[in-house]
Amino acid sequence: MNIDLSRRGFLRLAGAGVAATSLGAMGFGEAEAAELAHVRAFKLATTTETRNTCPYCSVACGVIMYSNGDVKTGETAEIIHIEGDADHPTNRGTLCPKGAALKDFVKAPTRLTMPRHRAAGASEFQEISWDEALTKIARALKDDRDANLVQTNDAGVTVNRWTSTGFLAASATTNETAWLTYKVVRSMGIVGFDNQARV
Amino acid sequence: MTTDLNPDPTVIGGVPKAPLAFLPRPARLFADRAKRFVFLADSGHRLAPYLTFLAALTGLQGRLLAELPAIEPIGRDRVDLARANRMPPVDRAALATDPLLHDTLTRLCDAAQSLDMPEPARLALQAVIAGDAADRHWLVENILADRIPEDSAAPHLFAAAAVQLHMARLVGALNAADLVPISTGICPACGGRPATSSVMGPQGIENVRYATCNCCATQWNEVRIKCLCCGSTKGISYRSVEAEDAVIKAEVCSECDSWVKILYQVKNHSLDPIADDVASLGLDMMMKDTAFRRGGVNAFMAGY
Repeated sequence: MNIDLSRRGFLRLAGAGVAATSLGAMGFGEAEAAELAHVRAFKLATTTETRNTCPYCSVACGVIMYSNGDVKTGETAEIIHIEGDADHPTNRGTLCPKGAALKDFVKAPTRLTMPRHRAAGASEFQEISWDEALTKIARALKDDRDANLVQTNDAGVTVNRWTSTGFLAASATTNETAWLTYKVVRSMGIVGFDNQARV
Repeated sequence: MTTDLNPDPTVIGGVPKAPLAFLPRPARLFADRAKRFVFLADSGHRLAPYLTFLAALTGLQGRLLAELPAIEPIGRDRVDLARANRMPPVDRAALATDPLLHDTLTRLCDAAQSLDMPEPARLALQAVIAGDAADRHWLVENILADRIPEDSAAPHLFAAAAVQLHMARLVGALNAADLVPISTGICPACGGRPATSSVMGPQGIENVRYATCNCCATQWNEVRIKCLCCGSTKGISYRSVEAEDAVIKAEVCSECDSWVKILYQVKNHSLDPIADDVASLGLDMMMKDTAFRRGGVNAFMAGY
């Protein structure tokens, strides 16, 4: 609250002593002191509310994620609640049943947090590193593209179509991510491509 | 033949757009607020003596509504001019010398003499009554500028009560559809600063945030997770004693180092933007120990 210099003449008139707060100045200092003594025992906790986009579909509804703790100040944050963003023009706070269950999606014990690989003939998935996974994916893509790229059509016109591999991308991406995804996928010649951020 | 298509997908879900503002209905405003003050005082609150006094003062504001002379509504031309220039229709500078506002202050102070209050408060009240026109003008001018001088909070409290009463009557006669958003943290009706903001519960505006003007009690829509002091959406966090169940939190902005109280009415429908601001003084006391300054304006709790 703004503090201004006082009109001294009026103050003399008021006959009131100098007290910094409304409660003090009005003579409720005792109640104020009791409250102050009461709050001494407590500590403030930090929570955060963060805007994000639902990752499920191309409608890209806005969500607000509530967390205990603030990552920006070096604390660990844990999501405690997710709800539709009432300010978001697309969904105005509403969510479909899938979006409404986003917290369970985040907290799911079966949630994939590492790349996993099931070798040919094996019955179980095994966790592998990102390096391994990307190497495997690159190898598979390269082999498939070398074998199946259609470079020209029947009339002999260059088309560079790669129809034997498809690509799916999700909706919770920035414009920049969507642009890069499109550039990478289309420059390889992939035809079967759905980027949910297309809307 | 061409058809002019104007699709509005939001109609599908029947989710209405949150209106810009809710104007105060003075009779309900003061009655509800007084009731809340009484409830808070009776719930064994440590600030009960102060809350009881404010309940009586708010009740008095409500009673005076019936006795005060009719207020002249703001003219259509003034409203149109304000709209065209994105200004609030209330001219605060002109109000400082408004005879009806000064009459309201005089009547409120006269009637307040019958209320129970501690001696320092009574001295301040008598000083306001005994003061000349220039003194009262100074008080009213400060309140209209959302400013409380550090060393005279008590006389300003009575002036604020009178200004709240006058403003609620003046603004209550406006049409909410005539208002335009001005800027973050500025009341579209009177240009005042918010006391607190509330995350609303009623159907249609569920989870939408409305800031409450400390002066005219207009509630206007503000985007959530946004600082009401500087408009930044970066570096916002919330402080409270209980992390998960808290219904009143401090919305802290690390960009401008200020904070404004946010009331989750969606979790507790009884919360009053002014009464619960006072009753949650403990949060202000705890926030005073941090590096952040209070951004919400409330003449009933100057000095925090």
